[in-house]
Amino acid sequence: MAGYSSGVKAIFCPGCGDFGVQAALNKAFMDLKIDKSNIVMVSGIGCSSSMPQVFGVYGIHSLHGRLLPVASGVKLANSKLTVVGVGGDGDGYGIGSGHFIHTARRNLDITYVVMNNEIYGLTTGQASPTSLRGAKTKSTPFGDIENPINPISLAIAAGATYVARGFSGDPMHMAELIKNGILHKGFALIDVFSPCVTFNKLNTYEWFKSRIYRLDKEGHDPSDIGKAMQRAMETEVTNWEKVPIGLFYKKEGETYEDSDIVLKNGPLAGQPAPSKENVMQILEENR
Amino acid sequence: MVSVSVRIAAANGDGIESSGTLLAKAAARKGLHIFGYRGYQSVIRGGHVWFSVRIADEKIYDHGETIDILVALNQDAVDHQASHLSKNAFVIYDSGKIKVDRLEGRGFRLLPIPLLDIAVETSGDPIVRNVVALGAVMKITGIGTDTLHQILKETFGKKGDKIVEQNVKAADRGYGYEGVETAFSLKSDNKKLYVMDGNTALSIGAYSAGCKFYAAYPMTPASSILHWFAAHEDKGVFVKQTEDEIAAINMTIGAASAGVRAMCGTSGGGFSLMVEGLGLAGMIEAPIVVVESQRTGPSTGLPTKTEQGDLLFVMNASQGEFPRIVAAPRDVEECFYVGKQAFNLAEKYQCPVVIMSDLFLSEHIESVESFDIDRVGIDRGKIATAVQDGRFKRYLLTEDGISPRSIPGTAGLEFTAASDEHNEYGDLVSDVLSGIDEHVEMRNKMHSKRMRKLETMLKNESCFVPSVESSSGSHSLVCFGSTTEASREAVKILKSKGIDVGLISFNYLLPLDRKATTDALKGKKLIDVEVNYTSQLAQIIKLCTGIDVDYKINKYDGEAITGEEIARKAEQIIKGVV
Ligand SMILES: Cc1ncc(C[n+]2csc(CCOP(=O)(O)OP(=O)(O)O)c2C)c(N)n1
Ligand code: SF4
Repeated sequence: MAGYSSGVKAIFCPGCGDFGVQAALNKAFMDLKIDKSNIVMVSGIGCSSSMPQVFGVYGIHSLHGRLLPVASGVKLANSKLTVVGVGGDGDGYGIGSGHFIHTARRNLDITYVVMNNEIYGLTTGQASPTSLRGAKTKSTPFGDIENPINPISLAIAAGATYVARGFSGDPMHMAELIKNGILHKGFALIDVFSPCVTFNKLNTYEWFKSRIYRLDKEGHDPSDIGKAMQRAMETEVTNWEKVPIGLFYKKEGETYEDSDIVLKNGPLAGQPAPSKENVMQILEENR
Repeated sequence: MVSVSVRIAAANGDGIESSGTLLAKAAARKGLHIFGYRGYQSVIRGGHVWFSVRIADEKIYDHGETIDILVALNQDAVDHQASHLSKNAFVIYDSGKIKVDRLEGRGFRLLPIPLLDIAVETSGDPIVRNVVALGAVMKITGIGTDTLHQILKETFGKKGDKIVEQNVKAADRGYGYEGVETAFSLKSDNKKLYVMDGNTALSIGAYSAGCKFYAAYPMTPASSILHWFAAHEDKGVFVKQTEDEIAAINMTIGAASAGVRAMCGTSGGGFSLMVEGLGLAGMIEAPIVVVESQRTGPSTGLPTKTEQGDLLFVMNASQGEFPRIVAAPRDVEECFYVGKQAFNLAEKYQCPVVIMSDLFLSEHIESVESFDIDRVGIDRGKIATAVQDGRFKRYLLTEDGISPRSIPGTAGLEFTAASDEHNEYGDLVSDVLSGIDEHVEMRNKMHSKRMRKLETMLKNESCFVPSVESSSGSHSLVCFGSTTEASREAVKILKSKGIDVGLISFNYLLPLDRKATTDALKGKKLIDVEVNYTSQLAQIIKLCTGIDVDYKINKYDGEAITGEEIARKAEQIIKGVV
């Protein structure tokens, strides 16, 4: 991790899928040669959210479920920065699900990598909003009776303009998805199957390996929203027999920063306070 | 001093708010002082609403308790406002439309004017009856019509000359209506005064501080700050309406961390959602400003009514301990200065600053003679720029508790801000290192570093002491924030009755200088005045100084407290009746 390491060691359990994400993020930064002082990595709380600590970039390790608003604030303040959100499925699709939908529809130029392990890791193995129906966890010993959230179809429906899924068992492929997500102008979701080897005995590397296939190898056209939705729903249709990974959907268009009447004139950061004359003029509106 | 209280009462949708503002501005352009307050309900149409504008030839501090001129635009207005009329009050009402039998023979001066007919004749628009009535008010108060004409021109100019002409004509018809005579002689010096509400003054204060970012979810009575910022986006201030208040505060933290002066605002309900974010700002030492404009609680409460019930909540909100500053501007003018100063304090001490307002302060309008833009400068605090040996210590342990911060984009000063406890670099001491001696020690050092900022603030700043506004008499009124103005009015009223009373007011509640606060309070019988049930300021005073207030005046019916109300109760206390 030469250039982008802080020197702090990751706290992940040996074999944790989040190591794969760490490697993929590092490779994406290296390939893109982004100045590390221009990267802000924002996370929530969870095992996965400790990611910024191991990178020698700017980071905000914020609150459980709140990484997207914090990341949005950074990007809105200084659109020149490369803002990358990293967190868990509980963080993003559970407690933070409201922000997830609204950040997607806002189309800020943020890249969001969710380490989806279908479980709550840091709190020692309770059900997550992506736990499969029937999954036995500490909080659902008789099997989860709720249906899992489908983050891919949810993101597309919410208006995200780059929607992809990676797998920690294939960090090189994931690095490409992250790299293209960073290059994409707009909100990019990269949902990553990142097995929790300690608490999730159902969704293991082997479990995924026997089910996943790559969309790019099947000639999927990511510009077609209808086809993207169909692929996104394949997990439901096949009851998790066929699980696609890769780029589902991508749409070019104006970002929030490009459309906002203030932000399109440049970043807020570094702009001076108004002159005395400007303030006087505004006060005058009130006589 | 001559003072006239004018109240226009009608239903929602009748346009009384703009009429009230027109009247206030017309008077203030003559150099007269005004104080206006709107009584309204949480409905969009119908209901009973009123707008009071008190006009005087000296600075006044409340909208008055009684009405000298009532403009009754519907029957409810007569029925609900009758009990508030002063002796000999004027009542302007639409002849033929409204029954005033209940007012007859009681000394009121009833002025039937065919408001609607005149409005339709001059403009074809029924809403213009407000302007006809305003014309009559200008005559009775002796203010004249020139400034009203000016303002009608400015207000309706965009709609074309014809509309302006119609409005001017309508005003003149009311002014010249037979039987309407001048009854007051207000002395005016023709010096133009500003007229604005607290939220406007606060917004302009924040704007002048260089605040470029405002995030909020709509909630009365904070919404008008959102509207102000949105209306001024062309001046380079960014505004974001968020999905909820949790997003609002966390975005504000993100923006502030990226080096932009950033603020969010809400009322108590939204602040409840912001609480976890407040603690995040405390922990990562992000300089944010939060406006909490209170309304009557608990829960949804009375959404369009006022209260000071959130003080202790705001002072204690969020788990754990961290330095914060809680300010409570006392009047419209001070909203401007506190709105500006809050950003300096937030950035100098790298902590959240909460500005407490309330519906009364946020929404009432007031005349202000002038603003001194240079009184509060801009101080962005300690910012690291030079690359240091090895990794940057964002949370350097310093004597004053303040560690120079770096802004993303600055090379060589990268760090991660963490909501977990951390060491000087920002690395966590909460996971693998937790419980190991040297890191236990680091927790002690880091927590006390943060908390030390409170002592540094008290040492460096002069604002954390109450103001002794008046020290005469054996008793002193004690109050904070928006209740100060009515207390000032009470001091004036009591003085006119030959009763001297002191006034001690708080505009910062946290931190408080113990010694200076004790000195300000001691030696007097204290009459605590608060718009809440539990006398929260009195609890803070007790905690900070050990002093018990001697008497308490509380109000929690949602209506704004007035000087007369305080004066009445204080007089009884001073005379030993209670
Ligand atoms: C407001 C709040 N509620 C609960 C928690 C406790 N908590 C910490 S992490 C977590 C869930 C972790 O799961 P996930 O987000 O999927 O991340 P993972 O640990 O699996 O990477 C919870 C519930 C918290 N920190 N804050
Ligand atoms: S508990 Fe699970 S998610 Fe957390 S570090 Fe260990 S393997 Fe990874």
